[in-house]
Amino acid sequence: MALIELEKLTFCYPLRQAPALDDVSFHVEEGDFVVVCGESGCGKSTLLRHLKPVLTPHGTRTGIIRYDGAPLERIDPRRQAQEIGFVFQNPDNQLVTDKVWHELAFGLESLGRSQQEIRRRVAEMASFFGIQDWFSADVSQLSGGQKQLLNLASVMAMQPRVLVLDEPTSQLDPIAASEFLQTVKKLNRDIGTTVILTEHRLEEVFPLADRIAVMQQGRLMAYEPPAQAGAFLTQHSCGLQPALPAPLRLRVALDDIDAGQEFPLTVRDGRKWLSRLMEGRPIAYRRLPVKQPPKREELFRVKEVWFRYEKNGRDIVRDLSFTVRQGEFFCIVGGNGAGKTTTLSLLGGVLRPTRGKVLYRGKEVSKYHGELYKQNLAVLPQSPQALFVHKTVHADLMEMVRGEDDAAQRIEEIAQQVGIAELLDAHPYDLSGGEQQKAALAKVLLLRPRVLLMDEPTKGLDGDYKQMLGQLLQQLQSTGLTIVMVTHDIEFSAQFADRCAMFFDGSIVSSGEPRAFFGGNSFYTTAANRLSRHIFDDAVTCGDVESLCRRNLQGEEAI
Amino acid sequence: MVQDAFSGYHPAVNFLYFLMVLLASMLFMHPVPLCIGLVSAIVYSVMLSGWRALRFSLVFVLPMILVVTLVNPLFSHQGKSVLFYLWENPVTVESCVYGVVTAVMFVTVIVWFSCYNVVMTSDKFIYLFGRTVPSLSLILSMCMRFVPRFKAQVRTIATAQKCIGQDVGTGNVRQRMRHGIRILSVLVSWTLENAIETADSMRARGYGLSGRTHYALYHFGARDKVTLVVLFALSAVVFAGFFGGELSMQYFPVIEGKAFTAFSALAFTSFLALCLTPIAIDVADALRWRMLRKKDISDGKNRMENDGAD
Amino acid sequence: MSWRKWLGILVVAVLVPGTLIFGAVVVQDRRAYLSSFLVIVYAMVPFFLHFEKRRPKARELVMIAVLSSLAVVGRMAFFMLPQVKPITAIVIIAGVCFGAETGFLTGAVSALVSNFFFGQGAWTPWQMFCWGLIGFLAGIIFHHSRLRKSRIALCVYGGLSTLLLFGGIMNFSSVLLMNGKLSWPVIVATYAAGIPFDLMHAASTAVFMLLLARPMQEKLERVQVKYGLMDS
Repeated sequence: MALIELEKLTFCYPLRQAPALDDVSFHVEEGDFVVVCGESGCGKSTLLRHLKPVLTPHGTRTGIIRYDGAPLERIDPRRQAQEIGFVFQNPDNQLVTDKVWHELAFGLESLGRSQQEIRRRVAEMASFFGIQDWFSADVSQLSGGQKQLLNLASVMAMQPRVLVLDEPTSQLDPIAASEFLQTVKKLNRDIGTTVILTEHRLEEVFPLADRIAVMQQGRLMAYEPPAQAGAFLTQHSCGLQPALPAPLRLRVALDDIDAGQEFPLTVRDGRKWLSRLMEGRPIAYRRLPVKQPPKREELFRVKEVWFRYEKNGRDIVRDLSFTVRQGEFFCIVGGNGAGKTTTLSLLGGVLRPTRGKVLYRGKEVSKYHGELYKQNLAVLPQSPQALFVHKTVHADLMEMVRGEDDAAQRIEEIAQQVGIAELLDAHPYDLSGGEQQKAALAKVLLLRPRVLLMDEPTKGLDGDYKQMLGQLLQQLQSTGLTIVMVTHDIEFSAQFADRCAMFFDGSIVSSGEPRAFFGGNSFYTTAANRLSRHIFDDAVTCGDVESLCRRNLQGEEAI
Repeated sequence: MVQDAFSGYHPAVNFLYFLMVLLASMLFMHPVPLCIGLVSAIVYSVMLSGWRALRFSLVFVLPMILVVTLVNPLFSHQGKSVLFYLWENPVTVESCVYGVVTAVMFVTVIVWFSCYNVVMTSDKFIYLFGRTVPSLSLILSMCMRFVPRFKAQVRTIATAQKCIGQDVGTGNVRQRMRHGIRILSVLVSWTLENAIETADSMRARGYGLSGRTHYALYHFGARDKVTLVVLFALSAVVFAGFFGGELSMQYFPVIEGKAFTAFSALAFTSFLALCLTPIAIDVADALRWRMLRKKDISDGKNRMENDGAD
Repeated sequence: MSWRKWLGILVVAVLVPGTLIFGAVVVQDRRAYLSSFLVIVYAMVPFFLHFEKRRPKARELVMIAVLSSLAVVGRMAFFMLPQVKPITAIVIIAGVCFGAETGFLTGAVSALVSNFFFGQGAWTPWQMFCWGLIGFLAGIIFHHSRLRKSRIALCVYGGLSTLLLFGGIMNFSSVLLMNGKLSWPVIVATYAAGIPFDLMHAASTAVFMLLLARPMQEKLERVQVKYGLMDS
């Protein structure tokens, strides 16, 4: 008997016409690892929230959800609380108390367990998750990855049978995300916990899953093991195209030439598949021509800059020198705590270097005063929420252009350009994460900047939103805007940047045009590069690999 | 900061100690317990956070002390022994002495609180009241979580606003006020909308089910039991002395104390012992540590000698 | 209004000041300080117990914690004006929007939490009581009244309550702490010494109410509507 059965579940939010869930039926066996995927707004979060009755949103609902054979809503609340664990997206919002140990004990306290039992369970969890070292710490001292691990541990302390996770890694950097997902897999494999997960890092989770549920506009399109789901997604992309694992995306792109019956999900399988595809063919084109960007006027010059926060502290930025040229799209990539964000603050004039100079158009950034942020620099913060002051998006945009003659027209234009024209009357907090990002972007663009500085703009965005953002940025770049961005997202920078730089230990260690840059790395590079580097040189995006395959298989004229 | 041994005792022991010494300091006007309190408080404070911290807090309160010392003789003209007349008002010895006594009491209370703030951390306080007022103690715990988080958010907002030309650090008072309101306003929205998810997360982990228990890392051990009994016994003697009038001191119209008796001597000694409890515990702990080290070293030496003999 | 509320008002408005005066005037010497201290503490106990007894929901707890933390952190938003602290204003707004009980708890918790960060002292219970009382009365006067929309009324209440309740009670506590012997000159001197500070505090609270009350009310109402919070 299945642990969870959904039968013709239909759900509609109040005051909405289209159902958020439309006739969804599937079942989950005990011990399954299920990944629910779909483009943003497809209803996957709504679906997950239906699996935990206390979180189910208000609205009209038909259909049945059965848990362990009985209708879910008739299960005793105590049992629901204990057996169905739920991990949310934002690591910070879920933490309730100030101490790590208290957070671990919170659920067991609610269940009314004895001091003795809680002590044992908490110790068990801390040991399993490797929390011993920060067991008595304040939660405010933890990194994002640690916080999310703590959230998982504090749910697992209640020993749930089912673990429901709603985009748990979207706010984490790639390394923490990978670690988190491996821990979830370990729980599933070693403890036997049933896992139901939504995730936009499909590359990471496809290989872990037993079943993939593909959703589109509230409907369940497919519910298959990963390989079959891969085949299904090759035929019907369901808006998921940009989010698919790179090997599969490549396979989809080359579907028109005879690509075989394999649907590779991992880099390893992708390599094998590509080898077979190119087997016996002469490789006439090994690399794509490297575009040399035209030499343009220098905009930023950073000269031997050092920075630390405290007098006797560690140097966060050390001996950093680089230049940014007019009109380029410059990406700084690198791990956590390398000093990327600090560097952006130095460029933006928020921090002043302890040694060295940051020159903007030949003048030190600190010598500009208010005019630095008027028609010069615009900084898009990591949290767009920090920019929203008013009740509607329109009012928030209005305050940037108040007093200008063509205010209304400019708002209209920017809203069109950024794609938030229909959202102008909405409250900023009623928007989704991606929409908030766009609204914040619109707000800073109204300053008519020459340079846009961005901190992790792709954090928490779905694949389709990332594509939209990337295209939008390229379009802005074509109007003369210079873009400097720091990010963990190598795939994004490989696809859209003109120049990438790798940041490590307070300084830039290498930089270059993306193909040369990522082609030269062997670990810190894109999935497309990793799966094709034994055949092609410097192919860093799926597009690169695809066009090289086509040139070699179909000749030059195929392009 | 050096972790003192007394801080490692059960929160109930810590709290009872401070409750007693603070009560005593606020109530006793007799010079002997006043001096005992002042000296012990200063010694403990130095043990906890060093001379520098004490000096800092004393510099901070010194003007207050001066005011307290001076206000009394200026406003209170009671007392028989007139020193001199100031603007036709008598300034008396009694009220001068009373001023000094009040100032000493004031300093003692402040120094005791500086010790309290080091020893009774928020989690101990929250734990102590966790059973009687569970919801409130949970609220406190949440606040201790939110405050550092909100502070970080304020910094983020201020930076973000500065970068769109709303520099908060400049301008006249009116502009600064407006910027502050702006930051606060952004913060309010941001935190309120996030709070819903915090509540959801509580409910998802079963908050609201009946029979909630309270887990704590603290264990009430034998040494806590002993210390608690000792503290209770000492306090009982001290307060018996106080309510029995043994510790009373009359300042007006003439300064007059009660003659020393065996009981008052006992009360003073008990008060001294009460005040010195944490210091004694710390010293005993340090001694025990040193003995253990010595023993280890000599054991080691013996062993080495034995090894050599083999 | 329920009988419990009337009882609350009775305790706050009659019993407590009565006992305070009794303790101060009749029982002279240091015992005055002790008795008034105890009154302050016991005056708060019923509020806390009543709150516990009705087993508040998760959302209420979070809301009180958020409001109190905002009150504590608020001063950071005005780092460029160090003497300005919006704590009283936020406590009043909590009372106005969510009612007397939430107002009281927000006030008391804000004082306690603020002192966790800036140092507990003999003043802690007094501050808890003062801010609690200000929040409580704000709830009684404004929560169910049309006055809640009136900026002028809120502004006046903010200024007066800060000056009379907060200033009045806190000065009283320092009189008691510093002087065992109560005499009119000492009382007058202490209050007079406190006046510049109290006026500043009252004025800043009034300004805050003028500027902050409406936007904050709107934000709180929005969350109330969006998430069906604290339905009464």
